[in-house]
Amino acid sequence: MAHEMMLLALQLGVILVATKLNGWFFSRKLKQPRVLGELVAGMLIGPYVLGAIPLGSLGPLFPPVGGTIPVSPELYGIATVGSILLLFTSGLETDLPTFLRFSGKASVVGFGGVIASFFLGAGITVLLHPEVGSIMAPEALFLGTICTATSIGITARILGEIRRISSPEGVTILAAAVLDDVISIILLSVVVGISAVSMGGQAIAWGSIGMVALKAVGFWAICMIVGIIAAPHVTKRLKGLESLGVMAEISFGIALLLAGLSEMAGLAMIIGAYITGLSFSQTDVSMEITERVKAVGEYFIPVFFAVMGMMVDFQAVGSVLGFGILFSLIAFVGKLVGCGLPSLFVGFNLRGALRIGAGMLPRGEVTLIVAGIGLASGAIGPDMFGVAVMTMLLASVAAPPLLVQTFKGGSGYREQLVESDGASMVTIELEFPSERTADFVRRSLSDAFRSEGFFIRAIEGSVRSWQIRKEDMIFVMRRRTAHLELAAKHEHEAFARLMMLETLVDFQEFVDSIKSMEQPEMMGAGLLMNMFATQQAKED
Amino acid sequence: MKIKQILSPAVVSTSLKSSTKEEIIRELLDLLVSAGYVSDKDEVFAALMERERKMSTGIQHGVAIPHAKTKAVKNLVACIGLKPEGVDFNSLDGQPSRIFIMTLSPIDRVGPHVQFLAEVSMVIKTEEARAKILQAKTAQEVLAVFGA
Repeated sequence: MAHEMMLLALQLGVILVATKLNGWFFSRKLKQPRVLGELVAGMLIGPYVLGAIPLGSLGPLFPPVGGTIPVSPELYGIATVGSILLLFTSGLETDLPTFLRFSGKASVVGFGGVIASFFLGAGITVLLHPEVGSIMAPEALFLGTICTATSIGITARILGEIRRISSPEGVTILAAAVLDDVISIILLSVVVGISAVSMGGQAIAWGSIGMVALKAVGFWAICMIVGIIAAPHVTKRLKGLESLGVMAEISFGIALLLAGLSEMAGLAMIIGAYITGLSFSQTDVSMEITERVKAVGEYFIPVFFAVMGMMVDFQAVGSVLGFGILFSLIAFVGKLVGCGLPSLFVGFNLRGALRIGAGMLPRGEVTLIVAGIGLASGAIGPDMFGVAVMTMLLASVAAPPLLVQTFKGGSGYREQLVESDGASMVTIELEFPSERTADFVRRSLSDAFRSEGFFIRAIEGSVRSWQIRKEDMIFVMRRRTAHLELAAKHEHEAFARLMMLETLVDFQEFVDSIKSMEQPEMMGAGLLMNMFATQQAKED
Repeated sequence: MKIKQILSPAVVSTSLKSSTKEEIIRELLDLLVSAGYVSDKDEVFAALMERERKMSTGIQHGVAIPHAKTKAVKNLVACIGLKPEGVDFNSLDGQPSRIFIMTLSPIDRVGPHVQFLAEVSMVIKTEEARAKILQAKTAQEVLAVFGA
């Protein structure tokens, strides 16, 4: 046990150093997403390349482990925590109203992608492997399913990096990717059922397969509804603890619980984590939770991506290279056309369709889960498992730069997105004699809002702005040089004015106290006098 | 925050007797002391007068909102007093003040204190609501205007 733990500590250390350095290299020097650097770092240091080299008495740092996952269960466990953290923050960063608004479009995109990918994947397998026979053969079914899942993780990370998570395309991709995973898992349960029957020569138990599918969909729907309704109440209670840190930590605890429950319900753990994040995204403390969870994620998420890279067995891929490349291409086309084409009919232009297609390309954890189950059940061999890994790899490597490229340029949505009704807002303005004075009052005003139970976060942009929020009350504070303004809804105007008034009254008191202060130049002189006195004493 | 959780007939006076700003503040404070909300009357009075010294809380249209933060209260407390004849409160519009809403909030406790003040002020925003309050004969009639 001690040896395993020692090895785990060494592995994690090497993974963190390698992923962080390679991530930095990819983002700063190659202008590519960090995640790609982390993935490649994993491939290089993993059990199939450098990790296999024995290091004296220690042996290989990443000794090959039998079974479908080539790393130790301990390391895989840490990577799983990383994937949960990743999806929890993705959920937290999702703009729920936009998500719900685009969920209809996402269903069209998600289903389009799944149907096209499944039939293309299964079709090419039957076409190029005469021994497979028909599309209902286990091998064809598994390879078709492998094509269907989308890795939200990779796409979410890239969209986050380029700040497009809340764009219409971003939200559609994430919602469709979540749906894809749900559909893929349901499909997997159906495929496993059919495969078991066809391999065992029994009659197909459609009833039990239907139950599994129903359970998965039901879990998803119930968690979404309960989560969205319960999250504001949960945070309201947690505020009583008067510690944002504790609140963030408990919310992550809830994410882990829901992740476990979703696995129990037959869905991937990441789905539970994503739903939890999505539920908390609408609360007034979402930014505070996100900030804290992200800090922890910086340590764990790279482990997840590195482990994904480590799964690539170059030898297994080598024997089916030709078919693998063709299959990957087909998987590409399946998503690009299957997701891109329907999006043209739900309000997106060609640019938007391309973005959605590219965003749905990455394959990840669910692909591996599907392939792993296929391998374990004997439905597919190690060669086809290699093809699955290759598809995942090629899609994951090719998608990030493609996604970054497609997101350059204007809007991909045909309609103009209606921003929150600015007309119903009133702006109260104050002009100060200097920038420093305005900023001092701005800080005092922030403190005053905090003592009223509000949460404040800086909004990025050319003008320094802050969002001040408590439950459904939202104010926006802006400072331009010596000018300070507070925007409020009409119904909250009196409150905003009183807050500003009280802050000014305090400020006046501060100014008065300054006036009564001893001459600052005398204070300064006193400081210098003491300094030289000390110097003198030392010399003595 | 529910106004009715803060206000009760015990802390409403429909006919204040005082005729100066200082006396009015003392009389309002007595309401809160009698209700058992305030532990140190002198400290609170000093805090209220200090706030008035910085800037008068006599706002417009005969409304004044004397308030202070103090260690002498555990939670937000408030009272209402009426003086239909009006008292000079050094108000911003120079008009005598008739409706007084006093709030005291604990110093080191996060809570919707100014928010409560704003919500109460919003109720008496209209001329009609203010007239209705000034015509009230009982504490219940006053509280009815605030929906409490």
